[in-house]
Amino acid sequence: MIRDASLRTRLFDWTLVIVLLLIAFLCLLPIWYTLAVSLSEKSAASAGQVWLWPVGFNFNSYEQIMNDGRFFHSFWISIQRVAIGAAITILVTTLMAYPLSRNARDFRLRNVFMWILVFTLLFNGGLIPWYMTVKALGLYNTIWGLVLGGGVPVFNVILIVNYFRNLPKELDEAALVDGAGPWKMLFSIYVPLAVPVLATVTLFTIVYHWNEFFHGLVLTSGQDNYPLQTFIQQLVVVVDASNMTEDQYKRLNELSNQTLNAAKIFIAMIPVLLVYPFLQRFFIHGITLGSVKE
Amino acid sequence: MRNRSFTKHYYFMLLPGFVWLVLISIVPMFGIVIAFEDYNPGQGFFRSEWIGLENFEYMFDLNDTVQIFRNTVFIAVMKIVANLIVPLAFAIMLNELRFTSMKRWIQTLVYLPHFLSWVILSGILLDIFSYTGPVNNLLSVFGVDPILFFARADLFPYIVVGSDVWKEFGFNTIIYLAALTGINPSLYEAASIDGASRLRRIWHVTLPGLRTTIVLLAVLSLGNVLNAGFDQIFNLYNPMLYSTGDIIDTWVYREGLLNMQYGLATAVGLLKSVVSFILIVVSYVLASKFANYRIF
Amino acid sequence: MIKKSVSLSMALMLVVLSACSQSKGDTNASASQSTESGSQTGVKEAKDPFGKYPETITLTYGKSVDPTDNSLPGGDTPEHNQYSRYILDNLNIDTKVTWQAASGTNYDQKVNLAISSSDLPDALVVKDTQLREMVKAGQLADLTEVFEQYASPAMKNFMEKTGGKSAESVTFDGKMYAIPSIQVQSDGVHEMWIRKDWLDKLGLEPPKTMEDLEKVAKAFVEQDPDGNGKNDTIGISGQQNGSKLYANFLESTNNTFGLDPIFGAYKSYPGYWLKDESGNPVYGSILPETKEALGKLRDFYAQGLIDKEIGIRKSAYEPVVSGKAGIFFAPWWMGYGPLPDAIKNDPKANWQAYLLPLDANGQFNAHMGAPSTLFVVVRKGYEHPEAVVKMLNLLVRDESKFDISVPVGYYPLRVPMSYTDESEYSSKAIKDVLSGAKKPEDFTDPGYKLLAADIQNVTKVKKEPYDNMDISNWDPQADMGTWSRIYSLLVGSSPLEQDYNKVYSLLYSQTKTMESRWSNLKKLEDETFLKIIMGAAPLDDFDKFVSDWKKQGGDKITEEVKEAIQ
Repeated sequence: MIRDASLRTRLFDWTLVIVLLLIAFLCLLPIWYTLAVSLSEKSAASAGQVWLWPVGFNFNSYEQIMNDGRFFHSFWISIQRVAIGAAITILVTTLMAYPLSRNARDFRLRNVFMWILVFTLLFNGGLIPWYMTVKALGLYNTIWGLVLGGGVPVFNVILIVNYFRNLPKELDEAALVDGAGPWKMLFSIYVPLAVPVLATVTLFTIVYHWNEFFHGLVLTSGQDNYPLQTFIQQLVVVVDASNMTEDQYKRLNELSNQTLNAAKIFIAMIPVLLVYPFLQRFFIHGITLGSVKE
Repeated sequence: MRNRSFTKHYYFMLLPGFVWLVLISIVPMFGIVIAFEDYNPGQGFFRSEWIGLENFEYMFDLNDTVQIFRNTVFIAVMKIVANLIVPLAFAIMLNELRFTSMKRWIQTLVYLPHFLSWVILSGILLDIFSYTGPVNNLLSVFGVDPILFFARADLFPYIVVGSDVWKEFGFNTIIYLAALTGINPSLYEAASIDGASRLRRIWHVTLPGLRTTIVLLAVLSLGNVLNAGFDQIFNLYNPMLYSTGDIIDTWVYREGLLNMQYGLATAVGLLKSVVSFILIVVSYVLASKFANYRIF
Repeated sequence: MIKKSVSLSMALMLVVLSACSQSKGDTNASASQSTESGSQTGVKEAKDPFGKYPETITLTYGKSVDPTDNSLPGGDTPEHNQYSRYILDNLNIDTKVTWQAASGTNYDQKVNLAISSSDLPDALVVKDTQLREMVKAGQLADLTEVFEQYASPAMKNFMEKTGGKSAESVTFDGKMYAIPSIQVQSDGVHEMWIRKDWLDKLGLEPPKTMEDLEKVAKAFVEQDPDGNGKNDTIGISGQQNGSKLYANFLESTNNTFGLDPIFGAYKSYPGYWLKDESGNPVYGSILPETKEALGKLRDFYAQGLIDKEIGIRKSAYEPVVSGKAGIFFAPWWMGYGPLPDAIKNDPKANWQAYLLPLDANGQFNAHMGAPSTLFVVVRKGYEHPEAVVKMLNLLVRDESKFDISVPVGYYPLRVPMSYTDESEYSSKAIKDVLSGAKKPEDFTDPGYKLLAADIQNVTKVKKEPYDNMDISNWDPQADMGTWSRIYSLLVGSSPLEQDYNKVYSLLYSQTKTMESRWSNLKKLEDETFLKIIMGAAPLDDFDKFVSDWKKQGGDKITEEVKEAIQ
């Protein structure tokens, strides 16, 4: 009887392990596949022969990328964008979050501001007015356009606000007794306690700025100023071959270079793949406290 | 009361963020007037011909409008439901796993797709589901004829939802996993003393413990009923799939920018905003009433 | 202000001296008379089409580029390259790229953004719909006089040869608002390209009728023509995702991999405006002939004769390059691509072109393209609208001299300009020279700008016998660039020398209601037709499409077309 039960438990455990491993493998698959394609022979890739293992293993694509100045130029722009974007976002959202985390008795307009934020999340004037505004502000074709063009990351603000609100009220009381002002409260009490949520927001910001391509397309004058994802998007986008002249079409053939594109995609994924596991323990904590109030 | 004197400082703290907000998000809202105009770029936003509600009338006159709203809601609601259930199931399974280090590895792996952009993932999906791609190769092993996935309007919404769940389920488990740690371990002990099997324990202890979280997440996702995911669909669809796959956001993009139908596109976008806003307000009220929770 | 007065003085001086002058003495004197623009002083005499500006002027423009092109030598950019320097040296125009984007959707998006925000560079290359929007918004300079005065005789010749069609497409209320591209008419004729080596191997002839086509396609699919023992060949290739099943009146040329000739075989011209029996305009897509053609295509598809992934494939030329496809439909210039890659993969891939399949009466029906599909426009208020004309003059005059290892697409504001019959004329001429019937000196019209070079180069890549065009009688490796052109001419445009039925659209531009309704009607059409062919909808959905189309604005648009062509 007892033996049976433990056998059942073991069986249960092992089934679970297998199912979970399968699911995890499923998540890894596309990246693995991209890697396999990037290391394959061009013809094998375009014939759809590559699946889990490279066919005609070679490093040609990677060699080609190493020699492509444009790729690294865009890579560098993305790095700048991420660095500046993360710094600014963290600073601004933290500053905003603190007053907004006060309750309405302490800060009367708190709810008004909060609703304005939510309002801007849903309503917008459309692409063209936005483009004209950004341009009028002189942000066109600058790194600042890419950093600021997306607007205030309202979700991140809400995340930090909720995290702050979940911190024990006694902190405030104690600090008030000590005579601390709001700036001191924020930076010497709240911020140190909010490391998980700040790390989470940092991660979100990094991922956002790294993955975003549309602003790169619209807010810059061309390839010299493209961030990496925009650079890649124009390579993998479906090209409209109609209405092309012969010489345009002739050059189009290069676009079908699947292995090269896969290699570019893979390299573009690397930074994110490197960053997130290290921030993992923070963002679990940060998201949890930021979104669910106990 | 002493806090009154802080208010001034609060404004200072809000200043940078709100300057940013006003400049990038609020100023461009003047563009909403296009919805009521026959916009002519040469005349600009304030001198184009004012046509009142004509764009809206045309919008309701158009077969497309019903279709795109229907498609959007169908895909979005399926996504919401699936993104509540799948991560829940996965979180519970993970919770039952006894090998801690393996647990952490699996978590890391399942978070991975969340961090990749649709530009990249859609390219990979198109390959994997292509006529000669791996999925069809696999199906042929089971004697199934190859399926032209991206020509099947009947399958497309499910591919969209499926791939979205695949991308997000890992990440969405985070909240559930956190809520699971909050369940009192003594409840489990009591259950096992009573001789309850593991499945029964899940049913009688774990799920009730997560009930609040589930309800809350469901309510919060109300605001997304009109968000079916622009990036994803835009990178996956083709004309064969319009009947089930064209959603508000893709339509607005095509009409508003590529086809230069400014007024119409803005009108549809505005309608979407209004509906979403109402839904958010509703979810805000519901959450505070039933879960005593304030979203923000 | 200074620049404006310089150009004004230039204009005046040219009238007086009718030659290019280096004197700057009159600048101040004439500055006081400066009015709106130098070219509108009422002087009708021709100016020097190639006149160099005494002082460098600047022209900004938006550029479509190929993101994967690697041909530019180190240090050169899409903005600064051999072509921009050539323009600077010869005309003293400093061209600056305001923005660039990958050709296709990204470029269109940039242009539309520029139009809708009224934030335009000095000059742009746009499409018909964009041109109309810009005219409507009053954003464009009137080029009527500028063109009259500055266009070179060669360019005017090109325009005239289109029988007024080109001029019509850029004229609104009697004013000319753009310089149209003038494309070879062969760009709009879609031929059948077929693997002759496969035909030979299976003992077949090029399919003349639809029945033949069915047979051949079937053989290509079932009899393993590539001999790899696998059932992996495609009978008839189809267009890729984002491309068109057939060319239409708005995008009437270069529809690679569409199925246009099959519609033609049923006297069906979907996407074109035609005359019905009573002489009234009617839209080709809603006619019974189109339903018949769709029915046949549906049948072909069900039999597996057409590419399963038609309309979905990411790249339509991929099966051609990899040697999987046996038949596709496209214009004459396939030698430029995808054939170079195809023969690199398989040097024996013997792609030949024919005006096939024929209709029931044994006639080949081709819908013809608009002679102009791209338009060079100038922003209203730009000081030197004539600079654009001069740049295009220079392009027309010297295109044959350029070193094309850097694609001529890098020439600022480049649009194709040539005689409309250039490719047929050239292929005939080359063959006549090869056969000894004519001598190179017999061809003197410089308007056929590449012909002299073609005649000189032909024997580099064409081996004897000169009258056999099979791939084994070519030497592509000798010079791939030359091969591309000569093969395109001799194989691709030779068939066009024969007689065939040319069907023109009554209209190649949009009417008022189309501006708001057309994209929805087009969406309806694209979706319905693809679904019918692929079996996702019954053939009788066509009838529903017709009534929906009429109801949703089609009838009103037909009325407008009627007015427009009167």
